[in-house]
Amino acid sequence: MLTVEKLKEYGADTGEGLSRCMNNEAFYLRLVGMALADDKLEKLGEALEAGDLDRAFEAAHALKGMYGNLSLTPVYAPVYEMTELLRKRTQTDYSPLLAEAKRQMQALVSLANSD
Amino acid sequence: MACPTFFTISDSGGFVKYKNQKNENSPKKNKIRKKELTSGVGGVIIICEIDSAAARGVKSEIIAGKEKRDMKHIVEEREKNIRRLVLIVDDEPINRELLGMIVGERYDVIFAENGKQAFDLIRENQGRLSLVLLDLLMPEMNGYTLLELLRKDPVLHRIPVIVLTSEKSAEIESLRLGAVDFIPKPYDLPDVILARIARSIELAEDRIILNATETDALTGLYIREFFFIYVSRFQMFDPDRAMDAVTLDVNKLHIVNELKGREYGDAVLKKIADRMKRIAEQTDGIACRCDGGRFFLFIAHQEPDVYAKWYDEISEEANEVADGPKVTLRIGVYQNVDRGIEVEQSFDRATLACNTPHNQYGSKYALYDMQMREKEIYSEKLLGDMAAALEQKQFKVFYQPKYRITGDVPELCSAEALVRWFHPELGFVSPGAFIPLFETNGLINKLDRYVWREAAAQVRAWKEKFGVTIPVSVNVSRMDIYDPDLEGELLRIVAENGLKTNELYLEITESAYTENSEQIINTVARLRKAGFVVEMDDFGSGYSSLNMLATLPIDVLKLDMRFIRNICESEKDYRLVKLMINTASVMSIPTVAEGVETEEQFRLLKAGGCDMVQGYYFSKPLPAHDFEELIGRETKIREEQTQC
Repeated sequence: MLTVEKLKEYGADTGEGLSRCMNNEAFYLRLVGMALADDKLEKLGEALEAGDLDRAFEAAHALKGMYGNLSLTPVYAPVYEMTELLRKRTQTDYSPLLAEAKRQMQALVSLANSD
Repeated sequence: MACPTFFTISDSGGFVKYKNQKNENSPKKNKIRKKELTSGVGGVIIICEIDSAAARGVKSEIIAGKEKRDMKHIVEEREKNIRRLVLIVDDEPINRELLGMIVGERYDVIFAENGKQAFDLIRENQGRLSLVLLDLLMPEMNGYTLLELLRKDPVLHRIPVIVLTSEKSAEIESLRLGAVDFIPKPYDLPDVILARIARSIELAEDRIILNATETDALTGLYIREFFFIYVSRFQMFDPDRAMDAVTLDVNKLHIVNELKGREYGDAVLKKIADRMKRIAEQTDGIACRCDGGRFFLFIAHQEPDVYAKWYDEISEEANEVADGPKVTLRIGVYQNVDRGIEVEQSFDRATLACNTPHNQYGSKYALYDMQMREKEIYSEKLLGDMAAALEQKQFKVFYQPKYRITGDVPELCSAEALVRWFHPELGFVSPGAFIPLFETNGLINKLDRYVWREAAAQVRAWKEKFGVTIPVSVNVSRMDIYDPDLEGELLRIVAENGLKTNELYLEITESAYTENSEQIINTVARLRKAGFVVEMDDFGSGYSSLNMLATLPIDVLKLDMRFIRNICESEKDYRLVKLMINTASVMSIPTVAEGVETEEQFRLLKAGGCDMVQGYYFSKPLPAHDFEELIGRETKIREEQTQC
């Protein structure tokens, strides 16, 4: 079960995230739950693999907005970096950043699944 | 209150969707339902699909109302503090929910996932929708395309759009496309977002209210008040430019309306307004519909021949509306307006020029000049000084004797009271200068009453001093006729001086009879019944007919002095005078000839059967104490005659 405490431990700026949710904890946690269920990170991986930087930018940009609004700082950071590179359609190896994002997301999923 | 059975409510993944199935939507009802629903699900975000038929109803209602209706709606919303409707457009569900949560605090919210959906919702809700929060990067139709669509729409472009963006670079393009503000991603604190939304809505609504208020509904031109504000502003920003103030007036618009109906008159006004709008555009100016058929223009200085050309063009267009009576215009121009005076005053000057009777002389426009200005100032002074003049008795009543000429010797029988103004600064002011002025300003009633009292007191004084009654004729202006207390006032004055009603004669000018004959006939009949002697003044000066004499209840007929002037030289005039005298005589109405200046005139009038004469040949108008000499002389003669 996800709690605000767990998110804080994870490194999320829960103060900011909560204030954006009018300090409604249940609402905040539900939105974080939605972010966990989201498949755009997968889609970003697929697009990068296919070398489709346009599609990759769209996905990264959307994720950036989503993670940013929920103040999920650890996963926001690599996604933000990818978005800025993809905005200029930079040809580079995105796998370390993608792996970091996936790792952070996994960590969050584990937290959610732990007691 | 709304019943939940009107809605299909389903819970899908945390969202509550509802569909309004009943076609009885007013924006208000929708709102109440949504509000109930919002509270019913404990702050859960709502995606709603508004029934399209209902939305169309709202839409057509709004389109029909146009700006004025929008304004009314806004003012009502403000007064009642009604929740506004905000559309959130974002393809990302989490962003939508988050923003919906924040915005839902104070607004009703609807959502769209892309530009296309948003455009449909905007069109359906255009009358109610107060603001759009718009993400830029979205599938199907992105935010830029939507902005462009809205910008091109004459109605929808007024709905303010705030762009949701994390890119600085996107801001310029969005601004260019008409966005009013930005909300950065990640979102600001809720209070900041709410404040920005509130401000944007307020500004947009103010603009609609202003637009609807500052222009005239019929012509789209500025109304007077706002026109003056914009002219002042213009003068402030461009103080050195030579500008003209122009007044254009449609002659006798009320007759056009009367003959052809108001719609026709409106069509004429619209034609004129359209042409004036174009003139304003071409001359860096602004145009205004002042009221009725009067328009103002404030434009870069033009040469007079340009005004003549416009006069022709506007007249032509005004007469393009088919089958109507000919519409004529007049134009007054105050050129190179003096920046030192108030804007209103500049247009007063243009209007003054416009109102000079220049059309009579075939001129197409009249320019305000120093002579008009001096006359205007002089008039203003006279008007301003009138009250004090009454109080200080600067007005003096003079008396011009009337002589009965039916006997062998002319016999003093009565007098006409004539007012003179001895102004402490201006000296003698001609009645020709102040009487027409007071007539147009309603002050004539006061002056008339003053003269009535003075004259009545004088009749009484003479009566006491000489033991005879010299009845005095006083002027009753056409404005007095409309005074419901006219008879009461006259009776009071007569009573206060212990006079009989037949000792005060009332002169009513012929033109008053032709103006509103029914009222005049009734009033005169009442006055005569009360015992007053009523004289018709200036007979023959206007459109009178001999027939009038048969229908009007009068006691004495005063022939216009213009006829008398030429009776010696013109056989025709003399015959005409004789005809009038004879006709009056047939109806037992005695006649008075005014302006008798020579012996010959007197002789001809006597021969023609005229009963009484008045004029310089006998005596000029005299102050009361000089007049007394005449009475003295007259009573002496009578006494001698009696003794003989």
